[in-house]
Amino acid sequence: MRAIVRRLAATFALVGAPANAHAHLVNTRLGDFYGGMLHPLTGFQDPLPWLALAILAALQGPRRARWLLVAFPVGLLVGGGLSLIAPGVSFIPLLDVALIALIGMAVAAAVVMPLPAVIGLGVVIGLAHGYQNGQAMTESTDHLLFISGVTAIGYASITMATACATAFLQGSGSWRLLALRASGSWVAAVGIMAFGLQFVAPATH
Amino acid sequence: MIGFLQGLGGGRRRFMLFAMAALSAAFLVPARPTSAHEASMAVMVLREVGPGRYLGQWSMPPIDERLRPIFPEHCAWDPPELDCGERGFVGTLSFMGLGSKQSVAMFRVFPLEGPAQAYTVSAANPIVTAARDPGRDIGAWLNLADTYVNLGIDHILRGIDHLLFVLGLIWLVRDRWMLVRTITAFTVAHSLSLAAATFGWVGVPERPLNATIALSIVFVGVEIVKLQRGQVGLAARYPWVVAFAFGLLHGLGFATALTTLGIPQTTLPFALLFFNIGVEIGQLAFVFVVLALIWAHHRVEATLPRWGAVLPAYAIGSIAAFWFLVRV
Repeated sequence: MRAIVRRLAATFALVGAPANAHAHLVNTRLGDFYGGMLHPLTGFQDPLPWLALAILAALQGPRRARWLLVAFPVGLLVGGGLSLIAPGVSFIPLLDVALIALIGMAVAAAVVMPLPAVIGLGVVIGLAHGYQNGQAMTESTDHLLFISGVTAIGYASITMATACATAFLQGSGSWRLLALRASGSWVAAVGIMAFGLQFVAPATH
Repeated sequence: MIGFLQGLGGGRRRFMLFAMAALSAAFLVPARPTSAHEASMAVMVLREVGPGRYLGQWSMPPIDERLRPIFPEHCAWDPPELDCGERGFVGTLSFMGLGSKQSVAMFRVFPLEGPAQAYTVSAANPIVTAARDPGRDIGAWLNLADTYVNLGIDHILRGIDHLLFVLGLIWLVRDRWMLVRTITAFTVAHSLSLAAATFGWVGVPERPLNATIALSIVFVGVEIVKLQRGQVGLAARYPWVVAFAFGLLHGLGFATALTTLGIPQTTLPFALLFFNIGVEIGQLAFVFVVLALIWAHHRVEATLPRWGAVLPAYAIGSIAAFWFLVRV
């Protein structure tokens, strides 16, 4: 026991010896990771279809919905990577807003989808959104960190939204399904308007 | 602590003694200059050479050379001279170009009379107000709080090693109240050592400290694997003790952000307080996000299969082991 006390005393004495304290294990520019995380949240183009996608997945039941938690982030990651390899694909913004309308209508109709379709839709939307967010990177951006940030927020958002929608649906009362379907119709309406603006906006310039 | 050690079995006591010996050996390594440590902020020093006239220069140059100081409108900046006239050095300060490569920069002002002043500008708090005597200006104090709370949040969210350790603790502790106690113990411990290191009462050279912090994460990873195999290890049995012990180390790591700023002694206690509040806010936010995600995975039945339950622990341990090797 005396040996333990001696060792403890020695440890504290050494720690107590004043010296400069400088430490941080990973002093990297993680700012771009958070930049990637925040970027999709700066407009409605990303969160709105993600929410609708999560509701659509929840409508399929937890056993199918859970595959979205893998498919969607993988799509985001690959999409972000594609934006580096082949930047400037012109139809992606149009595809993004078309997908908003499409998912919204699917939620409004409470479409039941087979598992491959759920996974495929998650991947496609992930690809489109990953690509679109990846386009925001500049030369000075750390690409890996930024794309990782986009993927992380996409994963966290889709997981939370799917879980919340699932929990909401598992409550008692048939009005819950109606409420979610109604929200889908709103998303569809926003998507259709945004789709139309894609054609109107260039003519105004 | 001695009673705690006495209560341990032979194997655990040997482990604790080994850990203490390793820590002691780490601390015995002499302190070295930290030139290899990338400057965490840019610092511009302004020395008053005449009433309202200053000479400015970078004491810690910015990573991005395009970073430019922005002074109050009545001040004329013709590098390296700054002329603020009769009104003196008062008004809003900022930096142009902050955020892309460096998120924090500081003005250090040395007037002809009175103590030096420090104004920290961050991407989250891009404009600060320079006042003649911050000690009496409530706005200056609010500015100080705003700056250092944001700096604390920024620091913990960028400190992925600290977050990984907290993640390991969350993974390890299953009981809700034990988790609260464990996180609280970690918080108390790193607050104590942060304060002690900031005031210069304790100090540890960078390299062994970094390595030991990495080792603490490896330790938690090993403990998770043991728990998955049905063996209740030291950290699973006494998580709050482990969290407290390693929290002391992590607090020394947090101190980096403050000790490199050169904050005047008069404002240091308040800067420390606000910085620590920021760290706790960031840590709590991280804990809530992780807990929310765990809940969400259970809700959609997206849990790892039995064979894959140890994968996160191996991932945490492997990353930390890599850091340990790099730092050693």
